[in-house]
Amino acid sequence: MSAQHQYQMSETEEALALGTGPLPAGPYYRDDYFALECEAIFKRTWLNIGHGCELPEPGSFIVRQFDFANASILITRDNDGNLGAFHNVCTHRGTQLTQEACGKRASFTCPYHGWTFNSNGDLRGAPDLERFYVEKKELGLNRVSVAVCAGLIFVNLDPSPRQSLREYLGVLGEQLETQPVASATTYSEYVYEIDGNWKITYDNFQENYHLRFIHARSGGGGAVGPENQFGYPEKYGFHGEHRTQKIWTNPAPQLSATQKLAFGKLVPALMQRGMMNAAHARDYYALFPNFFLIGTPTQHFTHYVMPISARKSRGVIRIYWVGDDMNASERFGREFSMAMARDVHAEDRAVIEAGQRGLNSGALKHIHLQSQEVLLRHLMHHVDAKVKAYQAELAAGGAQQ
Amino acid sequence: MNATERLLPADFAALAPFVEFWAADTAAARAHCRDISDEAGRAAFYNAAVDLVPQALAWLDARPLNGWDESEQRLMKLVLSFAHVALAVELHREEEPQHARNRPYMRITRAPADCER
Repeated sequence: MSAQHQYQMSETEEALALGTGPLPAGPYYRDDYFALECEAIFKRTWLNIGHGCELPEPGSFIVRQFDFANASILITRDNDGNLGAFHNVCTHRGTQLTQEACGKRASFTCPYHGWTFNSNGDLRGAPDLERFYVEKKELGLNRVSVAVCAGLIFVNLDPSPRQSLREYLGVLGEQLETQPVASATTYSEYVYEIDGNWKITYDNFQENYHLRFIHARSGGGGAVGPENQFGYPEKYGFHGEHRTQKIWTNPAPQLSATQKLAFGKLVPALMQRGMMNAAHARDYYALFPNFFLIGTPTQHFTHYVMPISARKSRGVIRIYWVGDDMNASERFGREFSMAMARDVHAEDRAVIEAGQRGLNSGALKHIHLQSQEVLLRHLMHHVDAKVKAYQAELAAGGAQQ
Repeated sequence: MNATERLLPADFAALAPFVEFWAADTAAARAHCRDISDEAGRAAFYNAAVDLVPQALAWLDARPLNGWDESEQRLMKLVLSFAHVALAVELHREEEPQHARNRPYMRITRAPADCER
């Protein structure tokens, strides 16, 4: 491997503070640590759950499950075009308003007693409402926070978040706005459940050390090469709780005939749409806690890992596209791009589960990370800092219940 | 016009034997076809289609997406299934049966081709 691909430890204060010692293994499988993560992180952090193209017009809605909080969240676009996010819970006696995953409707009527809510969350009316001992205006749906960056919808279960989404993303927010996802109109999607802790699952996608072993065939020869046999990134970046990589690509990849054909069919349409000259096309964004986006125009994917329990998670992978299929060639290229990415991720899922099974035994007390796994260390550093801060809040009696 | 020519545009009649198994409606169904196929079936489809796919795309590109007749729609579905089977034949080769065990856990829920049928 040439010297230019040797990772040089960042001299930022944040990176130097990460240290080099082994990490405790317990936080990757213990129920008590997971319970703290849910309170300290997932119930009060901006989480990507979708894209604005899913709610194209007033009345559009989607529903997302947040298993870690036993919550079902309804995201709507109201008559003014604004997004709203609410607990999918009737404010009468708690019945879930809708069982649908998505759709379009001007109002939501509870099946239990007929309470009806507008898409902006206000209670429109309820049968025999005058017999209640509460004002109608106080009975709107319970809000959570929602905001958009680069077309991506983020929800924060805290109705009064400590930071706006833009404050939270910092400079990365501006970069994301330059990505194709900002103007995406459709997407390919595949989802998975995994017997894996959310960090174990997420960490797999933060290091390239495994590529040559797990993706020897599916990777297609683009991610590793003679001068960079592990496919290590050209650069790492630390941005508060978030982190980035500048991915390395093999200048002479050994592509199969159909890989050449399919990506060759995608490129003309991408060029016609002005999508091939993205400034951050080789940037790989890891937004705290559980979201990835890669800038590559031909496989412009996002991936989030939503925790279900200490040892179970759900992943959602999307490849975003700008515009409907222009022609058969673009349709073919898009189908191939998704199928190839899915092949790679199917291999990841299998090996992640094997790793989780090993950790669950308690055989390892610590996990050793090499310098090229520094992003894993960065994630764990910030997770643990959040958990400790939350514990301090509890000790001070100031934690929100 | 015989039955084979009606199944697909005439220039692609050689692919007619593969329509019943491979011309599936959705991306998930096409991935499933690959999952349940055997090596001989994949090889037969791949070998028959590999030289015709560029021509098929050129044929379909010459016509608007929403103007395809049924034979052209079937041809598109076959070409999309080729995208899946080519990964098996060209990349995974003899390891395809092992790889197929992991793929169904990655459940395809949406593809542009499904949305615009």
